[in-house]
Amino acid sequence: MTSASAASLTRADTASEATGAAGLVAQGVSVTFRRGTQVIDALKDVSLNIPRGTRAALIGASGCGKSTLLRVFADIVQPTSGTASHYGLTPAEARANRVYALVQQGSTMLPWRTVIDNVALGLEIAGTSKPERLERAAESLALVGLKGFEKSLPAELSGGMRQRAAIARALTLRPRFLLMDEPFGALDEITRDRLHFELLRILEETGATLFLVTHSIAEAVILSDKVVVMTPRPGRISQVIDVDLGQHRTPATREDPRFGHYELMLRRALHHDA
Amino acid sequence: MAQLMHRVVLPVTFGLAVLVVWQGVIEAGMVSKLVLTGPVQIVTALITEAPTLLSNGLITLTEAVSGFVLGSLAGLATAALFIRFGALQRAVFPLTILMEAVPVVAILPVLMLWMGNGMAPKIFIAAFLSFFPMLVNAYRGFSNVDADVQELMLSYSASPEQLFWKVRLPAALPFMFTALKLSACSSIVSALVAEWLASDQGLGYLIISYGQGYRVADVWAAATLACLLALAFYGITAAGEKWALSRRTR
Ligand SMILES: Nc1ncnc2c1ncn2[C@@H]1O[C@H](COP(=O)(O)OP(=O)(O)O)[C@@H](O)[C@H]1O
Ligand SMILES: [Mg+2]
Repeated sequence: MTSASAASLTRADTASEATGAAGLVAQGVSVTFRRGTQVIDALKDVSLNIPRGTRAALIGASGCGKSTLLRVFADIVQPTSGTASHYGLTPAEARANRVYALVQQGSTMLPWRTVIDNVALGLEIAGTSKPERLERAAESLALVGLKGFEKSLPAELSGGMRQRAAIARALTLRPRFLLMDEPFGALDEITRDRLHFELLRILEETGATLFLVTHSIAEAVILSDKVVVMTPRPGRISQVIDVDLGQHRTPATREDPRFGHYELMLRRALHHDA
Repeated sequence: MAQLMHRVVLPVTFGLAVLVVWQGVIEAGMVSKLVLTGPVQIVTALITEAPTLLSNGLITLTEAVSGFVLGSLAGLATAALFIRFGALQRAVFPLTILMEAVPVVAILPVLMLWMGNGMAPKIFIAAFLSFFPMLVNAYRGFSNVDADVQELMLSYSASPEQLFWKVRLPAALPFMFTALKLSACSSIVSALVAEWLASDQGLGYLIISYGQGYRVADVWAAATLACLLALAFYGITAAGEKWALSRRTR
């Protein structure tokens, strides 16, 4: 890391202390795509504040702009207007300083690299020495229960295992923000359930802030402290619901009457908008 | 065992049968000896003419391999430049496709005016014909990167160079070998044809000069050697492909 970027990180930390717990912030973010003559308002005037350490879920029908908002935070899509920030850093600074890690919708891997080399790719790009990056990659593979598959090729893993590897790949960067785009979408319910609690445990261990895109109501409730509900065309935030189910969640949390209450609330919020 | 039977024994038996029938047709005098000769005569010619065949074969092989290497490297470098500088690709690609249509063998007389009668124009033609398959295939391979992977590399703040070495190049490897296998054969053929047209050495020259002396078995022996060279070159390239692809997945 260059001294300039280290300085900007320090500045960001003091800035966020000054403003309280500024975490992931969007202010009046709009994104307009043009396809030929067609104009698509993917996001319209989206404002949002997710304090650091929060587990937040973003829910909405498909096509309502969830991935686009995530990509704005990841500095992959530039807002047409408005600003976004992480701990006071612009998305570009956050990307350059490797503050966040991304888990994409598909668990795409480089097919010619072994699992551990895929998981270590981010550190390799960042210039981390080989022994260190392999050690850290092995650690995060163990964290997601993939110990013993380091030398496998991605094609030799099941869909669920590949998804865990994609999560491990993000964790290896030790991000302060974990940006996840429907990471459990392709999984069967049993695997998904297990990964949910593994993710919660990992978040408790690392203290990372979670920003999770999902279209599953139950997933949003069990995983998050804050659910952001989006509506389509144009993509807007219609409601932000605080989920008060405590810090520590277990499978038993789903039997809590409040769990059903939040599910119902979300269902109404989504249907009301539809 | 049954697999071995199907894969080896059957084709070998069939090949031998063809050779025997061929020899029989020649011995029976069904075809003029000026047109075709038998396998036995060809093998005999291969042995008696071995020194001449090998020294000339070495020349053809040198031309072909040099052209193959130069043309493929140039094609690869051009494809890499096209990927790095999109504007260059848009400006130059149409022109290079037009150039591919140039019947380069037809302009050999011009090339000889520029480069003389030696190996240079043959190497140039083999290189010219190896250049385009590599350019087109390598470019396609370099572009064959999933949008998700590009996004991931962007999220890592990877430089264009890192994207190239860690993603594009390995992704393009199978495409590059498609081009190399194509050019391995075509470079031998183009060197031969160029020698035919104008040369005083090489297998192509030898075939012409044997032909002018009505030495049919010798012509066929030279042609056989040319085939063997092309096969061997192709085989080495294919083995290189296996090796490179297995190294890629360490
Ligand atoms: N790169 C793009 N170019 C043009 N349109 C896009 C692009 N990305 C997304 N869109 C459009 O923006 C809208 C929101 O897309 P997206 O954010 O992917 O939705 P979601 O993730 O909620 O399913 C959709 O109508 C989609 O077609
Ligand atoms: Mg999406």
